[in-house]
Amino acid sequence: MAKAFGIINTPASHIKVEGLQQHRPIGAFSFLGRYRAIDFPISNMSNSDFTRIQVYVQGRVRSLAEHLGSGRHYNINSKRGKLQLLFSEENALNDIYNTDIANFMEYIDSIRRMREDYVVIAPSYMIYTQDYRRLLDTHVESGADVTLLYHKVENAKDAFLNCDFLNLNRQKGVASIERNIGSAKDKNIFMDTYVMKKELFVELIMKAKKTSSMYTLRDIVNAECGELDVRGVAHKGYFATLTDLKSYYHANLDLLDYSLASTLFDPEWPIYTKTTDACPTQYFEGASVKNSYISNACQVEGTVENSVIGRSCVIGKGAVVKNCIVLAYSTIGEGVHLENQIVDKWAQIIHAKEIVSDPADPGYIQRDDTL
Amino acid sequence: MSQNNMLAMILAGGRGSRLHDLTNKVAKPAVSYGGKYRIIDFPLSNCANSGIDIVGVLTQYESVLLNSYVAQGRRWGLDTRDSGVFVLPPREKADAGLDVYRGTADAISQNIDFIDNYDPEYLLILSGDHIYKMNYDKMLDYHKEKGADATIAVLPVPIKEASRFGIMNTDGETNKIVEFEEKPKNPKSNLASMGIYIFTWKTLRKLLLADMKNPDSSHDFGKDIIPTLLNDGKALYAYKFEGYWKDVGTIDSLWEANMDLLNKQNDLNMNDTTWTIYTEDVTTPPQYIGANASVENAYITQGCRIEGKVKNAVLFTNSVVEEGAQVIDSVLMPGAYVEAGAVVTRALVADNVRIGKNAVVGSADSENILLVAKRVKGVE
Repeated sequence: MAKAFGIINTPASHIKVEGLQQHRPIGAFSFLGRYRAIDFPISNMSNSDFTRIQVYVQGRVRSLAEHLGSGRHYNINSKRGKLQLLFSEENALNDIYNTDIANFMEYIDSIRRMREDYVVIAPSYMIYTQDYRRLLDTHVESGADVTLLYHKVENAKDAFLNCDFLNLNRQKGVASIERNIGSAKDKNIFMDTYVMKKELFVELIMKAKKTSSMYTLRDIVNAECGELDVRGVAHKGYFATLTDLKSYYHANLDLLDYSLASTLFDPEWPIYTKTTDACPTQYFEGASVKNSYISNACQVEGTVENSVIGRSCVIGKGAVVKNCIVLAYSTIGEGVHLENQIVDKWAQIIHAKEIVSDPADPGYIQRDDTL
Repeated sequence: MSQNNMLAMILAGGRGSRLHDLTNKVAKPAVSYGGKYRIIDFPLSNCANSGIDIVGVLTQYESVLLNSYVAQGRRWGLDTRDSGVFVLPPREKADAGLDVYRGTADAISQNIDFIDNYDPEYLLILSGDHIYKMNYDKMLDYHKEKGADATIAVLPVPIKEASRFGIMNTDGETNKIVEFEEKPKNPKSNLASMGIYIFTWKTLRKLLLADMKNPDSSHDFGKDIIPTLLNDGKALYAYKFEGYWKDVGTIDSLWEANMDLLNKQNDLNMNDTTWTIYTEDVTTPPQYIGANASVENAYITQGCRIEGKVKNAVLFTNSVVEEGAQVIDSVLMPGAYVEAGAVVTRALVADNVRIGKNAVVGSADSENILLVAKRVKGVE
C-alpha cells in the first residue's frame, strides 16, 4: 500500500483567470491541446503508486466530473483504489469564506478515515511532474513536520505574480510563505504542494478553522512556521502556473521548445488523460504548419505558426494562426488572420478578418462565440 | 443481449500471408491502419455502434497480440454489465482432444456452447480484417422484414472484377438469392459477398451440427453452409451495401487504403462523430510540427514529431521525421523513425523500424510499394 494518499487542491479565491474560468475550474482547463490541467497532478500521483486520491472542486463541477469519471484512465485500480470527486457548493460564491479549509472541513470524516499515514497535497492549477515517492522519502528522512515543494525562478518580477514564494533560511527551513508582488527577480516560488502526516493535516485544518474562517491551508502553515519544522524541497524540470490568462498562454507556448517539452513528457512518466477517440488530423494541399502542437481530428488547410491547436479544429484555406492557443472544436474560417489569441472552445471566427493582440497582453475569444 | 438480441462472432484467425513480414508475428486483423487504428477496430466499433452487446472473436493464427488487444472490451465501450468482447481461440474438449478451427463454419460450430449461453435470436458473422463502416442493426431490420433465414451483405463490384469474388445471383426485384457462385468464370451478377452474414440462430445451429459430422464438408460458410441453405430452399436475401469497403490483402492495397484517407471527401469519413471508430488509448502528447517542417496532404496522429518534409503520407502513432528527411507517398507505421536527411518514397515502413541518416528508401517510379520491415543503415 502507498504510504500517502493524495489531495488535489483548489486555487485560493484571489486567483482568477479571465474568460476561461467562467466556464470551468482551472483544473479543467485545456492544456497543450489534448490534456486538462488536472491530468498532471493526478498522473503524478498515479505514477507514484498512490491508489487513493481526493479531488476537491468548487463551482462548476460538470467538466471535471465528466473528465475524471471513475479514474480508470489514470490507472487507478477500481477495486483497490479510489478517485473521489468532492465538491463544495456552500461557499463557492463568497470569496471570504471560499477557502480550501472550508472544503476540507466538509469532508473531514472522510480524510480521517484514510488508511495512509501521510498526505500529499498538490494544486490542480499548476503544471509539473514530480515523483511523490521521492518527495515523501525526503520528507520522512529529514524528520520535518511539513515539506513544501518550490521552484527557483529568475523572472519573479513579472511572472508568478499571483503566487506565493518561500522565505527560506540556509538549512532550507521555511521562515514564512509570502505573496510574490514582483519585488525581485529571484524567488523560490511555492508550488502549493505539501507533504505531512495525516494527523498533522487534520490538526492544522481544525486549528485554521478555529483561528479564522478566512484561513487557508497556506495561511495556517505560514502561521505555524515558527512552531513546526517546515522545510522546502527544490523542484527541477518544467514548471508553470495557470494563475492568470498570461501565465496560461505562456505555459502552453513555452512548450513549443521541444527540448523543454521533452522534460515534461517522459515516456517513463506518462501523463494520462481521457480519450475522446478523435481520429488523426488531416493536412490538405496548401497547408503550412511550423513550430506547433496540433491535436487529433483537426482539418488544416491554412497556415499555423507557433501555436497550440486543440482537438477537432478547422483551420480554413488561407487562414493564418500565429502565436495562438485554439481550444477544441473551434473553426478559423477562410482567410481569417489571428495573432496572439486564446480562442475558447466551439468558437467560430468566420466574419472577422483580422484579430491581432499585443503579445504581452493576449486576447481572449469567448466560448461558443461567433466573430 | 438487451439491445437487439443479436450476438456477433468475428472471424479473426486469418494470417494474411500476402502482407509478408507485417503478419509474421501478428494476425491480419491486428495490423495497423489509418494512423491510430488496427483493422479489427472497424468491425468491433461497428458492433458497438450497432447496439450489439456480446461479441466473440475467433482467433487462431499468431494470436497473442490480437487476443490481448481485443480482450479489453472497454476500448469499444463493450464492457458494461451486459456487454463484453470474448476471445475464443480453439480449445481442447473432453470428447475430441484439441481441435483447430477447420474452417469458418467449424469455428462457429466449436463455440455453439458459448453462443447458447446468451440464447440469441440472431447471429451475426463478421470478418475481422475488413475496413468499412456499417450499421448491422439496419441489416437486422432488413433480415426481419424479409423473414429471411439468412441475409448476406453484398457489395456491387465492377463486373469485370466479379470473377475474383463469391457472387450472389439474385432475383432482381426482391433481392432473394437464387444462386451462389464462388469466383465464377462468367459472372451473372456483380454482387460480391462481403463475408457478413446474419442468420436466424435456430436454423443455423441445426445446420452446423449436421455439418460437423459431414466428412465431405470443408466446414466453410461460402463453400458449404450457404449452398446447403439454398438447396434446402431456405430464404436467403442479399443486403446491398454502399460505401467504403476494403479487404487489404497485399502491401499495395494496405498502402492504398491508407492513402484513401488523404482525400478530403473520402467515404470512410473518420471525422463523423455519429459513428466513431474506437481504438486503443495511448498516452502521448499531441503531434509536434517543427519550425522547419513542411506538411502537406497528410494524415497524422498524436505522438508524431515532424521536423522534415511530409507529403502524401500517413503517419501512425509516435512516428518521427527528423530535420531534412522526406517522407513522400508513404506510410509510417507506429514508432517508425526516419532519421535526418533520409528520403522515403512509395514505401510502407513497418512498426518501430528505423531508417538511418541520409538513407534512400523506395523510388517514385516503382511499380509496387516497398515494404521496409528491417532497420535501414544510414549513409555518412
